[in-house]
Amino acid sequence: MSTPGPAVASVAKPAAAVVGPGGELPIVSSDVSFVEIETLRSREFIPEAKEALSALVKEQAEGKLIRPVFNWAGRNSLFPLHWGLACCAIEFAAAFGARWDAERFGVVPRSSPRQCDLLIVNGTVTWKVAHKLIALYEQMPEPKWVIAMGNCATGGGPFRTAYSVVPGVDKLVPVDVYIAGCPPRPEALLDGILRLEALIRERGA
Amino acid sequence: MNPEDVRTKLAAAGAPGIISIEPFEGVAARVKFDPTAATALFPIVRDALGFPHLSMVGGIDWVERYEVFYLVWSDPAKTYLLLSADLDAKAPHIETASACWPSANWHEREAWELVGIQFDHHPDLRHLLMPDGYQFHPLQRAFKLHEPEDLEVKVRHV
Ligand code: SF4
Repeated sequence: MSTPGPAVASVAKPAAAVVGPGGELPIVSSDVSFVEIETLRSREFIPEAKEALSALVKEQAEGKLIRPVFNWAGRNSLFPLHWGLACCAIEFAAAFGARWDAERFGVVPRSSPRQCDLLIVNGTVTWKVAHKLIALYEQMPEPKWVIAMGNCATGGGPFRTAYSVVPGVDKLVPVDVYIAGCPPRPEALLDGILRLEALIRERGA
Repeated sequence: MNPEDVRTKLAAAGAPGIISIEPFEGVAARVKFDPTAATALFPIVRDALGFPHLSMVGGIDWVERYEVFYLVWSDPAKTYLLLSADLDAKAPHIETASACWPSANWHEREAWELVGIQFDHHPDLRHLLMPDGYQFHPLQRAFKLHEPEDLEVKVRHV
């Protein structure tokens, strides 16, 4: 949108050169954004926007537009539930710390299952806590995904035959991605999340 | 405090059902008692011997018998005392200690659910570490570890 509007004339150009600590900096052509803003404000924009919006609504009705957008937005902002079960939770915590910073992938742990679409089962699930896990899963709104992090969540791990441990969380909830390791490193968790994103891209939200 | 002191004090208080008093590693003495005398013995140990704090209750399956033991602590004497009783292998049961030491409550729940010792007149004998409705006593020698494939998973809907 670089249509020169009447407002262009009123845009004050910045000074000819900006001298920074490293010498002269190239001038950013800043008028463009001003022009865009002025154009947006102009009356011509309103019919244009109406037209675009009605096209959106039409495409949405046919299921063409919103689904991909929803899929794109959903897979790039997975909100896992902030809960820790066992030692894997330490690596889970590390993945969200400064060093690995999972938030750069849009993954932000939330404290309420109502705000989450991803359940990362990060540790040993005992029979005592199994009902709570299912309750948390069912409190999450659709669409939702589950990552089994570590050997314990995947298949019981070192406690596979123990009397108190669920041998694999897939006995309780449907699992989308399994991450091996005891515990998996934070990189492995990030890899699992990216694989889940790829899975959502393929399967749809 | 040594086993002789324990013997003298118990005798002075007229403690019933004492079978033997021996030295034992890390505690003042190990007192074996008859389980039917438990209700009378516990308050004597608490008040006359001065062991007001019950640290733990545990059970062991020795195949031919069960053993239940109580570890009690005395703050002035800075020592533990071990009380233990042999129970019948068929139907192990003993009177609860929670009327005397309230901290026995959860310990007895644990000993009941894992080892299968019945504590008579316990105020609230429910599962502690396992979910409600769990059928086994997993620390009994007869308990077989399952293969996960044999497991029938029944999940109560919450
Ligand atoms: S997989 Fe290993 S590190 Fe993870 S919860 Fe199980 S025992 Fe702990």
